[in-house]
Amino acid sequence: MNVPNAHLLYLAAGLFAIGVAGFLLRRNVIVVLMSIELMLNAANLSFLAGSRMHALSSPGGAPDPQGPVFAIFVIVIAAVEAAVGLALVIAMYRHKKSVSLDDAGELRG
Amino acid sequence: MENALFYVMAAGALAGALGVVLSRNPIASVLALLAAFFCLATIYLLAGFQLLAAAQILVYAGAVMVLFLFVIMLLNLGHAGPLPRVDRTMFVRRRSTLAIAVVAALLGASALGISGMRAAQASFPLPAHGLDTPESLAASLFGPYALPFEATSLLLLATAVAVVVLAKRARRGPTAGGRG
Repeated sequence: MNVPNAHLLYLAAGLFAIGVAGFLLRRNVIVVLMSIELMLNAANLSFLAGSRMHALSSPGGAPDPQGPVFAIFVIVIAAVEAAVGLALVIAMYRHKKSVSLDDAGELRG
Repeated sequence: MENALFYVMAAGALAGALGVVLSRNPIASVLALLAAFFCLATIYLLAGFQLLAAAQILVYAGAVMVLFLFVIMLLNLGHAGPLPRVDRTMFVRRRSTLAIAVVAALLGASALGISGMRAAQASFPLPAHGLDTPESLAASLFGPYALPFEATSLLLLATAVAVVVLAKRARRGPTAGGRG
């Protein structure tokens, strides 16, 4: 693939912006969690674009493992976050019989 | 050819992401996110990260999305009947100005930053073995990143315990308020 790395970064920015919009706008807690997953994926994509840029500047195009290593950590954190978030959704549904954020406003200051 | 495939997959990922935010049925959101993840995995593969593409499909499409689908079906949140054409309760309207401002600021700042980056304008032919060989990944995961790696195992253990505690039913008894 010969695409300039800037296009990878633009795609990451677009995905992150869509994730932010979903996070701020949707009421359904599960869709909010999915928007967070989307943002984490955008972060992953920019890690990989950075790794490509680094490999470009190093002599001989040697692979730079730092970008993929951090992307793997992000994937692990995203899986953990999804598990805890969905357990919280189940606990909230049991308590309120709803998954709307409007019904979870009791802790709001 | 590969470049064209990249742009097709980028469009697919963006369309899937929009589908997550805009669809009224949570099941449709999950499927749109799944499509976006597959497009992203293809992009990783095209960009030379084979191992990450495999991890993306295994962990995201295989595990995380199944978890989402499972919870939606467990809580019976999918809609069986026809949905209203316009669902006014789907979005938090008083936050729309904030959302538009944040998205515009993000896109503008990143466009400025990326267009100013000299290294980002270049592209380069891939090495034949890709950019993330298992050897190089293992050498850094078990070398300089050994401590974060071990911390991750602790995090996974803590998560497993926390999820079981959160998701189990409250015990019947005077301390739990008598709820079953």
